Amino acid sequence: MAAVKTLLYLLVYPGLIFLFVYSTFCEWFDRKIYARLQNRMGPTHTGRFGLLQPVADFFKLMAKEDIVPTRADKTIFTLLPIFGLAVVATAGMLLPVWHFDPAVSSFNSFQGDIIVLLYLLSLPTLVFFLAGWASTNAFSIIGGTRVLTMLFGYEVPLFLSVLSPALLAGSWRLVDIARFYQARPSLLLLNVIGFVVAIVCVQAKLERTPFDIPHAETEIVGGTFTEYSGKKLAFFRLMTDIEMVVSAGLIAAVFLGGFGGGLVLGFLQFVVKTLAVIFLLSLIRAMSSRIRVDQVVSVAWKYLAPLAVLQLLVVILIKGLVL
Amino acid sequence: MKFQIPIGPQHPALKEPISLRMTVEGEVIKGVDIRLGYNHRGMEKLAEEKSWIQNIYLTERICGICSHSHSTCYVQGVEKLMEIEPPRRGLYLRYLVSELERIHSHLLWLGVAGHEAGFDSFFMYTWRDREVVMDLLEMISGNRVHYAINTLGGVRRDIDEAQRQKILDGVAVLRARSEYYFKIGANEPTFVGRLAGVGPLTKQEAIDNCAVGPVARASGIARDVRKDDPHAFYDEAPFDVCTADSCDVLGRTVVRIKELFECYRIIEFILKNLPAGPVAVRAPRRAKPNEVVSRYEAPRGENIHYIVSNGTEKPERLKVRAPTLANYPATVVMLRQGFIADIPLIFAAIDPCICCAERTVELVNARSGEEKTVRFSELRRLADERFKRQTVKRNVEWPL
Amino acid sequence: MTDAEKIEKIKRLLGDKILEASNPAVRRVFLTVAVKDLVAVVETLKKELGLWFICTVSGLDKGDAYEIIYHFGDTPGNVNVRTRIPKSDPHLPSLCAIIPGNILYERELQDMFGIVVDGLPDPRPLLMPDDWPAGQYPLRKDWKFDRPQEIIPGGKS
Repeated sequence: MAAVKTLLYLLVYPGLIFLFVYSTFCEWFDRKIYARLQNRMGPTHTGRFGLLQPVADFFKLMAKEDIVPTRADKTIFTLLPIFGLAVVATAGMLLPVWHFDPAVSSFNSFQGDIIVLLYLLSLPTLVFFLAGWASTNAFSIIGGTRVLTMLFGYEVPLFLSVLSPALLAGSWRLVDIARFYQARPSLLLLNVIGFVVAIVCVQAKLERTPFDIPHAETEIVGGTFTEYSGKKLAFFRLMTDIEMVVSAGLIAAVFLGGFGGGLVLGFLQFVVKTLAVIFLLSLIRAMSSRIRVDQVVSVAWKYLAPLAVLQLLVVILIKGLVL
Repeated sequence: MKFQIPIGPQHPALKEPISLRMTVEGEVIKGVDIRLGYNHRGMEKLAEEKSWIQNIYLTERICGICSHSHSTCYVQGVEKLMEIEPPRRGLYLRYLVSELERIHSHLLWLGVAGHEAGFDSFFMYTWRDREVVMDLLEMISGNRVHYAINTLGGVRRDIDEAQRQKILDGVAVLRARSEYYFKIGANEPTFVGRLAGVGPLTKQEAIDNCAVGPVARASGIARDVRKDDPHAFYDEAPFDVCTADSCDVLGRTVVRIKELFECYRIIEFILKNLPAGPVAVRAPRRAKPNEVVSRYEAPRGENIHYIVSNGTEKPERLKVRAPTLANYPATVVMLRQGFIADIPLIFAAIDPCICCAERTVELVNARSGEEKTVRFSELRRLADERFKRQTVKRNVEWPL
Repeated sequence: MTDAEKIEKIKRLLGDKILEASNPAVRRVFLTVAVKDLVAVVETLKKELGLWFICTVSGLDKGDAYEIIYHFGDTPGNVNVRTRIPKSDPHLPSLCAIIPGNILYERELQDMFGIVVDGLPDPRPLLMPDDWPAGQYPLRKDWKFDRPQEIIPGGKS
């Protein structure tokens, strides 16, 4: 019985099928907002309001020809998309949406799962680098090196800013953090600086404008994805979508009070809060141009890291003095 | 670790094929190798086989965006050869279309610059406003791109009062939108951060490499053929030559936006003072043996046509030098010591119209008889020479 | 300065190097020089008259000689320097030492007419394809192109 239940968790909810459906919905939402901000229509014809457009894109890519460069290492080249998808899907299971029993530690909610989530979210960067490297194409190699260079910039501020509310709540378990803030919603305001820093860093992690340097179309053709086509590219794109959902879910869980209220209300909160975060991300995407990779690192260390440290200081002070 | 990246001939950053081979170390460009000629069509030799009127059609197809500039430059020259003088109204209409084309080209360029910098929203907005200009041009000439409005001795179509009013309204809308773009361009920090200090070309380098157009004007050289060689109408129209001092891509953007405002002034002047009368005079079939040099300020720079006639109805020689070709040596200088991320921006900042630059002689493949785009040899390798860069002003003011 | 003043000043500076000077239209000055004086004339024009901007270089096949015209852009107007070289010995000195931006135009002359430009910093052909047969110079008057018969597969030829 437990085995069937686990299998259902893995495959249906909050596993692959749910993530697939929800992440394609979020991609539609992102594309529609981006387009309307630019005075265009966005996806319109596929399905009602164009909702099925990302799904159509996925299946179209699955049907296309799969080309592997002759000099590339075939095993790594083929395994990387699958591995990346597996990593982000596993990260997706750690989000505290489903009705957890907070007293019991299960495989998807345990003490320290926020650290595991952050770790799993930094693995895709390595996947991108290896994908670029394994492609043996000058553009992909440059894309791969850019991905790693950006990692040096945004990873530290992201970790610091996401861990500050956890410090305030006094727990490393996402469910506990969410419940802490549900009980005392006014404390959410203490984490505003961290929220802003986290939004910017997540935008960098997801490689969206202004940080879409690794796959800058006008400069290095496709960046890390230049040589990928067909099913592998479909998996990579699905991986970036799920990464977006998981990052939005992480921010919502830690900064926006989580998803409490039982089954239905919790799920509704999840949808609303993640869509709010994605709306912010799309807004930033529409409003700025791409910056250079050296500028990313300098901006991250000059502004984002000090702000994140400031947030940490605020949290430590409040915790020491008040709580 | 040095290695070579090829930009082109097929690349999303390039609108037309050209091959730039960059030798890079990390993200810094150490050497540039430009190979020309993927768009070679053999116009000059072909022009010797066609009559004067047929050559208008040919010169218009040298390029898409600057089609009117080539045909105007040609027609100006041939009218001198034939010693005919188009009526005032025809001249005014011809240069009305020229200025509209300049607006359309600069708006297109702004969008392209935004896209190369990753600022897609800017790209979408400017191209949406370009539709206003294209609708006006379609109203005047029937076409959105190749206007085909020039003929020997004047223009082919006339405008009436309602159309004149529509053009004035369109220009008012565009003026409001251009001021908005000016504000965004000046204040959006990521955009300015991408453009400032990029692709520097000092004044002396611009002089040595004979740069033309907004590229030269952004390095402080105040040259504009409309002032230097005012042909028939530009000595009456009120406008200023727009320059900037920053010598980088930001300066070139400023120059182009300022030129947009000058275009609006000129168009309003034209429409308010449009003389009545015929729009064309009849042109003879032959021209006396003579030679003429015709210069014209295309949106990209100075366009020069040298035409020789020998008394028959076909030209003896038509030599065209489009502005982009003149900017290639300057581009090589600009690209050195830049970042890879700046390549599309620097290259786009010269407003490349590669079709214009390469139409010298016939190139057909004799074996199969089909027109083939052929490879050219390398331009030059300057990787071992380093010019010292003068310090350029980084924080530019945006004077209007 | 006006065209007449320009011609006056040029004649004063260069004297008998100028074989012929004419002013056929407003703001157009045409000078004729001999090939051996070309470099000296251009240097003087650049230094004394400030003519640093070469618009382009045109070549013309005149039967037994090539006529090369250097078009200089000036404010206002333009100055064109003409020179003639015999077809039997088509050599031209390069001006790239004085005006580096001249390189593309001189390379084009080499490709199109078969003129040899001495002293070019980069004498490779500019426009012709890599497999272009040697000795074919398209802009010469005697170079004709025979268009091969078009073959439409499966249709009438």
